[in-house]
Amino acid sequence: MLYAMSTVLILAETEAEEGSNIGLVLPDPYELVAGIIAFAIVFFFVWKWAFPAINRSLESRQQAISGQLKEAETAKLEAQSLLDDYRAQLATAKSEADRIVEEARAQGDAVRADLVSKSEAEASQIVAKARVDAANEKARALQEARQEVADLSIDLAEKVVGENLDRAAQHGLIERYLADLERMA
Amino acid sequence: MFEQVILASECDVANEVICAPADVKELFELPTVFHIGQLAVSRTMILIFLAAFIVVALLYFGLRKGSVIPSKFQAVIESLVQFVRKDVAEDIIGPEGVRYAPYLTAMFLFLLVGNLFEITPLINFPITARMAIPAFLAIVTYVIFVFVGFHKNGFRYLTDIIWPKAVPLALRWLVGIIELFSTFILRPLTLAVRLFANLVAGHLMLTLLLGSGVIFIWNFAEAGAKSLVGVAWFAFGLGIFLFEIVVAVLQAYIFTLLSAVYIQSSVHPEH
Repeated sequence: MLYAMSTVLILAETEAEEGSNIGLVLPDPYELVAGIIAFAIVFFFVWKWAFPAINRSLESRQQAISGQLKEAETAKLEAQSLLDDYRAQLATAKSEADRIVEEARAQGDAVRADLVSKSEAEASQIVAKARVDAANEKARALQEARQEVADLSIDLAEKVVGENLDRAAQHGLIERYLADLERMA
Repeated sequence: MFEQVILASECDVANEVICAPADVKELFELPTVFHIGQLAVSRTMILIFLAAFIVVALLYFGLRKGSVIPSKFQAVIESLVQFVRKDVAEDIIGPEGVRYAPYLTAMFLFLLVGNLFEITPLINFPITARMAIPAFLAIVTYVIFVFVGFHKNGFRYLTDIIWPKAVPLALRWLVGIIELFSTFILRPLTLAVRLFANLVAGHLMLTLLLGSGVIFIWNFAEAGAKSLVGVAWFAFGLGIFLFEIVVAVLQAYIFTLLSAVYIQSSVHPEH
C-alpha cells in the first residue's frame, strides 16, 4: 500500500513539475517524511513522558487535596468535641453554682431559725426570771409589812396598856391573826 | 515572509489592483534553505520540525515540575492536555478513549502549533497548508478506526455498514452503499481536505491582502492615489488575521474531534 502511495506521489510530483497545479493538493514526499518523523517525536513524547508526568502531578494533587480534607475533618471533629467538653463543663459549673446558692440559702435559713429560737428562749428566760424576782420581792415586802404591822400593833398596845408586853408572845399572836386574815380573804 | 518578497519582486503597482504571484505555487512551495548531502531541506520541512520541537518544549517546561500548586504556565499546559484527554478522548470514545488519548493529544497540539504558524510573525506559514501532515494524520486515523472496527466487531463491522438493520428494508441497500462510500472513502478524504483547504485559503488571503497592502503603501511614489487601496487591503488583511486565529484553533479541534468520533463509531458501531 505504501509502495502504491509513493508511486502515486512520484507521478503527481512529475506532473506538477510539468506545470500542473495538482502537486499543491498532493503531499510532497519529503514533507511527508518530515511530518511523519516530527509527529512520531511528538506522539512518543506525549505518550511516554507527558502523560505519565501529568498523571503523577494530578495524583499528588489529588492526594494533597484529600489529605487536606481529612485534616479539616479531624480538626472539625476536634473542635466539636472541644465545644461539647466546654458545654458540659459549663453545665456542671452552673449546676454547681445553683447547688452552692441553694446550700447557702438553706444555711442562712437554719442560722436565722436558730437565732430566732435562741432569742425566744432567752426572752422567755428573762421574763420568767423577772417574774420570780417580782414574786420574791412581793413576798419579802409582804413579810416586812407584816413585821412592821406587828411591831406597830405591839407599840400601840403597849402605849394603851402602859407596860411592856412580851414581844415574842405578842408577835406569835399577831402572826396567827394575820394568817387567819389571809385565810379568810 | 518569503512569499511577500516574491510578491514585491513581481508586483506592478501601477497597473494592478492587488499583487499576486504569476504562479500560486510560489505561495506554498517554499524554497530550499540548505542541503544535507543530496537532500534539499525546504523551509516547510524546517517548520514541521520546529512545530514538533515547540510542542515538546511546551509540554516539557509545562509539566516538568508537576507542582501540586501549579504555576500559570503549568495550569495552561495541563488544561490543554486534560482538555483533549477528558473532553475529547474520554467523553466521545468512552472509557476506552484512554488508549487513544496520547494519539489525539499529540495530534491536537501538533496541528494547533502548525496551524498557528499561519499567524505567527516571521513564520507566517501554516505547515498544514501543505497536504503532507493532514494526509498523514487522516490516514493514521483511518487505519486506526478501520482496524479497531474489524478488531472489535469482526466481519460484522463491514456487514453492519453495508446492510444497516436499523434502516427500512427498501432503503437499506441505498443507505448501505452511501455508508460504505462515506466511511471508507469520504471520511479520510474530507478529514484531510477540510484542514488543508482551510489553511490554504487562510494563508492565501493573508499573504495576498497583507502583502499587497504593504507593497502598495511602500511604493506610494509609483502607485500614487492607489496606495489608498493598499491601506484598504491591509485593514482587510488585519480583520482576516484575527479571523484566522479562530480558524487555526478551530480546525485543529475539529480534526481531533472528528478523529475521535470516527474511532468511537468503530468501538461502538451500534450508536
